[in-house]
Amino acid sequence: MLDGLALFGKALAHFADPLTLTYVALATLLGLIIGALPGLTATMGVALMTTLTLKMQPEVALLVLVCTYVGAIYGGSRSAILLNIPGTPANAAACLDGYQLALKGQAGRAMGISTTGSVMGTLIGIVALALFTPVLGELALKFGAFEFFWLALFGVIISGTLTGDDALKGWLAGFLGLLIAGVGQDPIHAYDRFSFGSRDLAGGFQLIPALVGAFGFAEVLTVLSERVARPVIHSFDSYLPRLMDVLQYWRTILRSGIIGTFIGIVPGVGEDVASWSSYAAAKRASKEPETFGKGSIDGLMAAETGDNACVPGAIIPVLALQVPGSAPAAVLMAAMIIHGVQPGPMIMVNNPQFVYDVVAMMLYATIGILVFGLLLVRPLIKILQVPRDIIMPIVFVLCVIGSFAIAQRLFDVWTMIGFGILGYVLRQYNYPMAPFVLGIVLGDLLDKNLRRGLVLSDGDLTPFVTRPISAVLFGICLLSIALNITAFREAMNRLWSRATGGRTA
Amino acid sequence: MTERPSARADLVWSLIWIAFGGAVFYGSWTMDRLEALHINPYTAPGLVPGVLGLGIVVMGVILLLRSLRAGAGGAPVQLITPRLLIAAVLCVAYGVGLVGQGLPFWLATLLFVFAGIAVFRWDDYRASGTVGRGLLTALLCAAGTAAGVTLVFQEIFLVRLP
Repeated sequence: MLDGLALFGKALAHFADPLTLTYVALATLLGLIIGALPGLTATMGVALMTTLTLKMQPEVALLVLVCTYVGAIYGGSRSAILLNIPGTPANAAACLDGYQLALKGQAGRAMGISTTGSVMGTLIGIVALALFTPVLGELALKFGAFEFFWLALFGVIISGTLTGDDALKGWLAGFLGLLIAGVGQDPIHAYDRFSFGSRDLAGGFQLIPALVGAFGFAEVLTVLSERVARPVIHSFDSYLPRLMDVLQYWRTILRSGIIGTFIGIVPGVGEDVASWSSYAAAKRASKEPETFGKGSIDGLMAAETGDNACVPGAIIPVLALQVPGSAPAAVLMAAMIIHGVQPGPMIMVNNPQFVYDVVAMMLYATIGILVFGLLLVRPLIKILQVPRDIIMPIVFVLCVIGSFAIAQRLFDVWTMIGFGILGYVLRQYNYPMAPFVLGIVLGDLLDKNLRRGLVLSDGDLTPFVTRPISAVLFGICLLSIALNITAFREAMNRLWSRATGGRTA
Repeated sequence: MTERPSARADLVWSLIWIAFGGAVFYGSWTMDRLEALHINPYTAPGLVPGVLGLGIVVMGVILLLRSLRAGAGGAPVQLITPRLLIAAVLCVAYGVGLVGQGLPFWLATLLFVFAGIAVFRWDDYRASGTVGRGLLTALLCAAGTAAGVTLVFQEIFLVRLP
């Protein structure tokens, strides 16, 4: 514990020079703007910023990305409150009560609540990040090929189950991602798979161009395909957060912070599920559930605390297991690898300082959102009023140059365009993007560890389901699938009502 | 898109998934198993793609059965709208046709951003009687983007632009 505090103090001091703090300010501000503009998501922002920070020192580049991530998730609440359009998918729950408050002339208070909730949520997540990453890292040292195989599959299945409204489509998207990760030289024998004689395909699809396409270009197409009227913004009251709100809603803050952090740790689920789950839990616990959706402060506080607590939560499995907790965390993980930082079970052994560097980065980002949340209310409103038709062609230019800049090859630009079109089409047919992205990220882990496991067991599948951690992961995967089978679900419901004597849950 | 895709759309997609998964499985099955190198057969390169392809076929069949049970009816999703088509054509023309094909990057960017803004804002400019001012705004945005991106990437990040 004391070692951790010393490393954290060292990290705080390391980043506390004027130039680095300027980067913190600029990156948080940019994240805030990206998040606030509907159509620009946190994943897209972090992916684009990865390409912009390639030449920076690794720790500064990652600091910029963390600040962009935190800023974007917070910034999305602005358009949710003022326009009833979530700036990022994570802020959809904030629309319900935030916009209702705006209609009542309390947009300022709603923004204050959003700032309070976001800051408190991130702080709760930061504490969890500092405390649980070493614990999870230690547990992960016990993982072998069998466990890592299940972990990769678990991520795709859970993400597919929870991120869309149709689990089957989520799993299909996830499997497609896993397959796409397999294109190119296989990681064991360097044999070209599905390259069709193309040297470019033999190198495989690079993660960042694929993500910039699936989240960036697909969004550009979505936004440009719809005609949007110029936004109307209502007048608002004071936006200064009130201490009373923190004191009055401390239970909501604590509950949502814990829920958000926990959902962040679950691979590939992400901020939107964290926000909705926190909102639902707050509604269940509230003495006035009927006010939810009609301008409830409790509801808005829960949604905004939950999604921001998820950000540090999503980074915990990145650092400890090399498995991202959300789509933006997947990009962040790719950026870490590009910058030569190897996350995973060995990080607490080889590079413990980095874990506390990330904790310090998060803290600086939180200070950033608090400062900008208070200072830049009116300028942000001006930015929200810029027509999206003007912004999107410029964003596409950044998608092109960002994809090209990584390896300076045109194939990456074509990859971005291909994945953008694929992402757009899949989304139109209700296939969620998070499991797709997680599949691309985890494909290599699954591929190597399934084959290694089979070699270790000489083709025997028993160790995959009998080793303790494997058995747990296998059980959760199986249960997630079974619960989506109507007959099984109905049988479970019948059993439950029999066990509880007919009372419903 | 706000409404859920119809069962008919799911039916079509299920067939696409079955065909795709089947093709992947076939490709994996017929992939070189590197027997000449005496590798462990459990590390054959086609093993994992084959399993995944089979998984996609199984899920495709479930989607097929589900959509058939739902009547396989409903209206098709209107995927392509005129605005989408214009956006896609402009973006692909820029990303594939202009960038890296001999035209200087700044000029390709200037043309694309100007065309993009002018085309998508045209109705608003015409409705408000500000076509001239609007086109000038588009040109300024395009010039600013071309100059800014070129300067930042070429001079600061030292990226050789396409």
